[in-house]
Amino acid sequence: MTLQLGRHAFADDATLMMAIVNRTPDSFYDQGATWAEDSAFSRVELVVSQGAEIVDIGGIKAAPGVEISAAEEMSRVVDFVARVRAAFPSLVISVDTWRASVAAAVCAAGADVVNDAWGGADPELVDAAAEGGAAIICTHTGGATPRTRPYRIEYDDVVAAAIADTVAYAARAIAAGVSPESVVIDPAHDFGKNTFHSLEVTRRLGEMVETGYPVLVSLSNKDFVGETLDQQVGSRLIGTLAATAVCALAGARIYRVHEVVETRQTVDMVSSIAGRRPPARAIRGLQ
Amino acid sequence: MTRVVLVPGVLALLPAYASLEDPVADLRAACLAAVTWLGPDPVVLADAQGARVAAALLAACTEPLVEAPGPLGPSLAATAEASYLVVGNGSARRTEKAPGHLDERAAAYDDALRAALTSGDGDLPDLEVGRSLLASLDGIDRLADLLPPGVGARVDYDDDPFGVQYWVLRWQW
Repeated sequence: MTLQLGRHAFADDATLMMAIVNRTPDSFYDQGATWAEDSAFSRVELVVSQGAEIVDIGGIKAAPGVEISAAEEMSRVVDFVARVRAAFPSLVISVDTWRASVAAAVCAAGADVVNDAWGGADPELVDAAAEGGAAIICTHTGGATPRTRPYRIEYDDVVAAAIADTVAYAARAIAAGVSPESVVIDPAHDFGKNTFHSLEVTRRLGEMVETGYPVLVSLSNKDFVGETLDQQVGSRLIGTLAATAVCALAGARIYRVHEVVETRQTVDMVSSIAGRRPPARAIRGLQ
Repeated sequence: MTRVVLVPGVLALLPAYASLEDPVADLRAACLAAVTWLGPDPVVLADAQGARVAAALLAACTEPLVEAPGPLGPSLAATAEASYLVVGNGSARRTEKAPGHLDERAAAYDDALRAALTSGDGDLPDLEVGRSLLASLDGIDRLADLLPPGVGARVDYDDDPFGVQYWVLRWQW
């Protein structure tokens, strides 16, 4: 399915790097390194230079913590989106929010994608995306409340649940007026899932790809990688890239990442192994 | 009128081996221009691999290329009584990084082969020596029987970018 992300269209076989840009003082990976607006803008400049097609701007960390009001969230992201929009017209701008009011404001400021990491917790979010002409990321959280950690969640079949919930969310978005070409699904590793669940959705990601919706994976430095390899945040890149390779082979289209260069090379290598991408420049034995 | 074109049997010219960045872009452009000039349905003189390269180039030329008339005039294939597409190349042992590593005899052999092909009045150098230098000569051997004495070639391409000697040459008489 051709992918339309706001102003930008992508071919059926394109894989896309979505670089994480936190406008937060407390996100798990960078601990506020890009909290200041200029630091966040420098991060955008860096990931664009590294080839990221998408930036995913977030104003609230996913983990529990101090409550951030919608007004405070907007103050962190709306003007910043406008600044990035003006500076990088060809860049896809995604905003990580579950709030319809924030989504409407960032779309007006130039965002292309609403990344709802919390699986439709705000039922009016789809309307905001539709009215803003934005794409939407439909995630599976098992019904988790935003900014909560999983606690003794179990599934009969976590992949079946992820497919059922994301496809239902996608249908709701389309019914609200979001273009079918602008709907992406995401199993949401770690969200409403223990490590065994995240490993299973990775192993069986091809079943999500078979739905026909473009699949986004957000694997970068997450706890399921850390628990699997017994590695702390900061030492999870190798495990992240291994999981990335498995998802790439299954046909994931969008990769939400901290490390753009490493992920791009991993995805390109796997895509070429899968026969979906020609080598960059092959002459060995062909002279 | 007879038209003849020589191209090298470079497998990187095949669609099956396409890269994102064409490693033989200049060579490909020269080959396509010459094959277009040759016109459709030439007799192909080549070994089995070379025949696949010839077929790929001819297929790529089914969509007309816009080419400015060269020294040999515009593409007038309809007026050619016969046309030949020859596939062959010089040594693959010209440098230490070449597929066949360095053989000190390679440069002199290719010089002699070039002179014979372009001047139209020289004998081909020894084919067995050429084959030991990994030159591709089946088509060129048959070409030598075809060329009338004194007919020189137009040289479109003459280089060894990977330690393999390539030529794109045109003849007309």
